[in-house]
Amino acid sequence: MATDSTDTTRSPVLSVRDLVVHFQKKSSLPFAKPTSVVHAVCGSSFDLFPGETLGLVGESGCGKTTTGRAMLQLAEPTSGSIKFDGQELVGLSRKEMGEIRQNLQIVFQDPFGSLDPKMTVGQSIAEPLAIHGRWTDEEGPGLVAEAMRHVGLDPKFASRFPNEFSGGQRQRIGIARALILNPKVLILDEPVSALDVSVQAGVINLLADLQEKFGIAYLMIAHDLSVVRHVSDRVAVMYLGRIVEIADKVDLYSAPQHPYTQALLSAAPLADPKAERQRKRIILEGDVPSPTNPPSGCRFRTRCPKAQDICANEIPDLIDRGQNHAVACHFPEAMKII
Amino acid sequence: MAQPVVSVKGLEVSFATEGGMLNAVRGLTFELAEQEVLGIVGESGSGKSVTALALIGLLPKTAVVKGSVEIDGEEIVGRAEKDMYKMRGSKIAMIFQDPMTSLNPVYTIGWQIIEAVRSHGKVSKDEAKVRAIELLRLSGIPRPEAALDSYPHEFSGGMRQRVVIAIAMANSPRVMLADEPTTALDVTVQAQVLLSLQSALEKTKAALVLVTHDLGVVAGMANRVIVMYAGRVVEFANVDELFYRPSMPYTHGLLGAIPSHAEDSDERLSQIPGAPPTMLNHAGGCPFAPRCPLAQDVCRSTEPALEPVATADGSVHLSACHFRDEVSSMPVASMFKGAEQILEGAEDSGH
Ligand SMILES: Nc1ncnc2c1ncn2[C@@H]1O[C@H](COP(=O)(O)OP(=O)(O)OP(=O)(O)O)[C@@H](O)[C@H]1O
Ligand SMILES: Nc1ncnc2c1ncn2[C@@H]1O[C@H](COP(=O)(O)OP(=O)(O)OP(=O)(O)O)[C@@H](O)[C@H]1O
Ligand code: SF4
Ligand SMILES: [Mg+2]
Ligand SMILES: [Mg+2]
Repeated sequence: MATDSTDTTRSPVLSVRDLVVHFQKKSSLPFAKPTSVVHAVCGSSFDLFPGETLGLVGESGCGKTTTGRAMLQLAEPTSGSIKFDGQELVGLSRKEMGEIRQNLQIVFQDPFGSLDPKMTVGQSIAEPLAIHGRWTDEEGPGLVAEAMRHVGLDPKFASRFPNEFSGGQRQRIGIARALILNPKVLILDEPVSALDVSVQAGVINLLADLQEKFGIAYLMIAHDLSVVRHVSDRVAVMYLGRIVEIADKVDLYSAPQHPYTQALLSAAPLADPKAERQRKRIILEGDVPSPTNPPSGCRFRTRCPKAQDICANEIPDLIDRGQNHAVACHFPEAMKII
Repeated sequence: MAQPVVSVKGLEVSFATEGGMLNAVRGLTFELAEQEVLGIVGESGSGKSVTALALIGLLPKTAVVKGSVEIDGEEIVGRAEKDMYKMRGSKIAMIFQDPMTSLNPVYTIGWQIIEAVRSHGKVSKDEAKVRAIELLRLSGIPRPEAALDSYPHEFSGGMRQRVVIAIAMANSPRVMLADEPTTALDVTVQAQVLLSLQSALEKTKAALVLVTHDLGVVAGMANRVIVMYAGRVVEFANVDELFYRPSMPYTHGLLGAIPSHAEDSDERLSQIPGAPPTMLNHAGGCPFAPRCPLAQDVCRSTEPALEPVATADGSVHLSACHFRDEVSSMPVASMFKGAEQILEGAEDSGH
């Protein structure tokens, strides 16, 4: 298999190899083929090191959320390996996974849907303690208050209900809930995409502070390239279930090598009118193909300006091209886009 | 400026709600010439969509509208729906965030676009078909002949939005209004749609009012920009002035809050403390005062007018801030540095 961006000098807190997640999609039409397979994640490999942020970007449906959920066994891996602190998670029983879940928490995108409207904010934040049998009447309330303070919420609001809080505040509540168990890894699935920019900025700053304070590693899923550049140490780009490029963020943004990464960076608008006037955009043809019937060979080939015959016949491996910059393309070439 | 295609004077829109009068838009004034692109930005609830709907006469009946909106010299405010219907399509075309607002799921794309071509002029079916194909091609739809026989559900979101743009340009409108036209789309698809929109503008020479919360889209598309806050225009300027010499603290805050994907920075993003006001029963004073690091007593007592600041190139640059001249010479977002402590307090007491 591919030599990916494995780093032998540090040991990863989360280590993913050849992860495959398929979903059976049942057809609702009579007489149609009973099921089709959604190839949501196809052979992803990456490492997450203690205290760092790995950004995971890509367009809608490329498999970011599924990757994140697979880390917690919320989406069942079809094959592959996921190791937390060296321990294999794939195939663990619910009970065994429960222990590890304390160290692996997730924050969801939707600050409105992810909190139980019938629970007070304090109860919501305390719930993970209860689930893991760590709630005590002596220490519990203090831990909740502390978690609230960490995310910039006044503990006196613990008795209120989620509907009394704004979107940014609810996202902070979600983060407090994830933090209360002192996890080593936080999966952040689009934690700021539903928020207005000024509120988004506050949550991004908060995440940076918490990482500095507690040394938590983040897997930061987002489709906004600017947000990802701001928060990440390294970035992985996904297209239709595959990681096509992974590198330190400076390399990835200043010298992307995969044609898809180049197109993605070139398409993203910059809040800088002069830069915008000088830009030449790479405009991709067509739409992303369906993950139930992905193209043979390189999945990007149907839209790739560089595609040749080999791209249809051979799957390009994710190969390290130096300095932990790995690319899955038959014709990689560094290019300055922005 | 030559005869403007859009001329808005003192536009006010309010709604009677349980909590009292909600002033969604207050005192909006601007003009727009042919081929100009006006970006309207601002946070959720600041009145952007209500403004767009007022321009095309699509506000619900419950809206109380005052002031004047002229499109190509014709007044929109108070116009009968029957007349408005004629103007839509021929003079103004609207592009919504969800293309299915404008498309009918049960008719083919061809039927809908041919209908649009024929509805505002005497054109034979065959001529209309030729024109429909041309419009789809201009809009970047691959194999436009085949597209005529497709139904909207067979197309992706980006393709549908391009069909809507093709329909919008069918009758060479004078003004196009687009309310978050690419917000629901992925960035590579957004780039395709914005390109279609640009070719539609070149082809029709229409003016465009582009409502978006994405400052990057505005930087790339707009000539001039309105920043709205709590239903008011708080800043108006050409795009370079607005991005490089913002003159209203709120605009500084917005610009400082967005990270860049073009450079690395370890700087913290600027946070605007607090939350936007509800727009019920405006109390007087600058609506941004409770969140503004520069606010003084005068800000809390007197609402600043929208007035000019000096510009190097003599262009019109308006700001609704008592300290507009000082603010215009400050580095972008500098006043928000260290304002985070205020945030914690203000946000908690805001609810
Ligand atoms: N439970 C499921 N059953 C069937 N298909 C699924 C399921 N969950 C996800 N999928 C499919 O798997 C693919 C990847 O979905 P995923 O949600 O991981 O994408 P994503 O990158 O997070 O997209 P977005 O940016 O829209 O959130 C999509 O085609 C999606 O429709
Ligand atoms: N039909 C209506 N009845 C009552 N209030 C309304 C109505 N339509 C809009 N409003 C109110 O008017 C204000 C402005 O709304 P508007 O939709 O213009 O905001 P916006 O700037 O477009 O926000 P967003 O970015 O979320 O789309 C809001 O407070 C909104 O709740
Ligand atoms: S492998 Fe081929 S099709 Fe895929 S990105 Fe590279 S050049 Fe394009
Ligand atoms: Mg997702
Ligand atoms: Mg709106």
